[in-house]
Amino acid sequence: MASDAITLRIPHDKPFHGVARLVVGGLAARLDLTYEHLEDLQLALATVLENDAYLTGSDVTVKLAVNPDSVGMVIGPLQDEQVRADLQDDAGEGISLRRLLSTLVDDVGVDPGDGGAWLRLEKRVPMKRPEPKGTP
Amino acid sequence: MSVPQEKADRELLRRYHEEGDLRARERLIEQYLPLVRSLARRYSYRGEMHEDLVQVGCIGLIKAIDRFDIDRGVELTTYATPNIIGEIKRHFRDKGWSVRVPRGLQELNVRLSHLLEELTVQLERSPTIAELAKAADVEEEEVLEALESGQAYATLSLSAPASGGEDSSDLDPLESLGELEHEYEVSENRAVLAPGLKALDERERRILHLRFFEGLTQSQIAQQVGISQMHVSRLIRRSLEKLREEIATEQSSGRRAL
Repeated sequence: MASDAITLRIPHDKPFHGVARLVVGGLAARLDLTYEHLEDLQLALATVLENDAYLTGSDVTVKLAVNPDSVGMVIGPLQDEQVRADLQDDAGEGISLRRLLSTLVDDVGVDPGDGGAWLRLEKRVPMKRPEPKGTP
Repeated sequence: MSVPQEKADRELLRRYHEEGDLRARERLIEQYLPLVRSLARRYSYRGEMHEDLVQVGCIGLIKAIDRFDIDRGVELTTYATPNIIGEIKRHFRDKGWSVRVPRGLQELNVRLSHLLEELTVQLERSPTIAELAKAADVEEEEVLEALESGQAYATLSLSAPASGGEDSSDLDPLESLGELEHEYEVSENRAVLAPGLKALDERERRILHLRFFEGLTQSQIAQQVGISQMHVSRLIRRSLEKLREEIATEQSSGRRAL
């Protein structure tokens, strides 16, 4: 099945980060994900969006994709060097971006793209596609 | 910043720190007021709050001036900026001005917190949004909205100073029952040296350790620590926010004071 996708472009401001989290929530409800899976996705997103060191401009784009057995999130554009450095950094006993994301999602990658780095996250989830709303 | 300006700043800082010259301090404050104003503007989502944020930012500026170490070789702007931003963010967190949560949603959030515990036990797994909605007898959208407002609500109900301080007001009586206390102390002694972690209190460090080093889920942590899953969720978010602020402050003040 082809992946379904949602693309959301928001100002890089805290109140709008909440909007992005709500969209992830809506998607999770649609896919019947558990509360804990939703929490992981939302926290991964917040971790990236709320770190001022990753900002490149006044807007940020979040792309959500529904794959057959996973939910994908692509976030960008971000500060390429900073994101790559933080993903390399183990930080020992500290809590690095790498440690956070590897706890919250299953796959993490960075791709070059328009305006900077685009962070690619994928979380495998048991997918139960509910019947479309409004159908008898 | 121009070299003469930097030199003038250092002279004022020296006069204040070494000779106790309060007029030098005042001049520095006046001089950096435009910086405070421009940073406050970034956080003024509503017009009327701008002046309040400038006041709060000034506290950050004054703290930066008072704590500035002349021997460190960094510019005052570099040191003051994260301090000003930190103070503004702390203000938002403490007062919750950015997040006025309607009472109905707050109540639903509290109900959902209880239902989450019950359903997790009953289903032996984390419930879905639909299951929560059904149990609460509300629409899924309302559940999502209440969960989101809960995250925002956390920033005001669980407000605490960025470093130190006991937020005993939000403590569940069960939270003091920590059977992992001793075990945790060992790892915490190492963790205290890690960047940013000094900004967290012991419980916050413990929860982050359980989540990101031991790989426990929120519900497992909730059981271990004796608080609700939603409370764990809020504490994790708040702790990570504090960590980010602390690390940003440390990095831009060119430190290694840890």
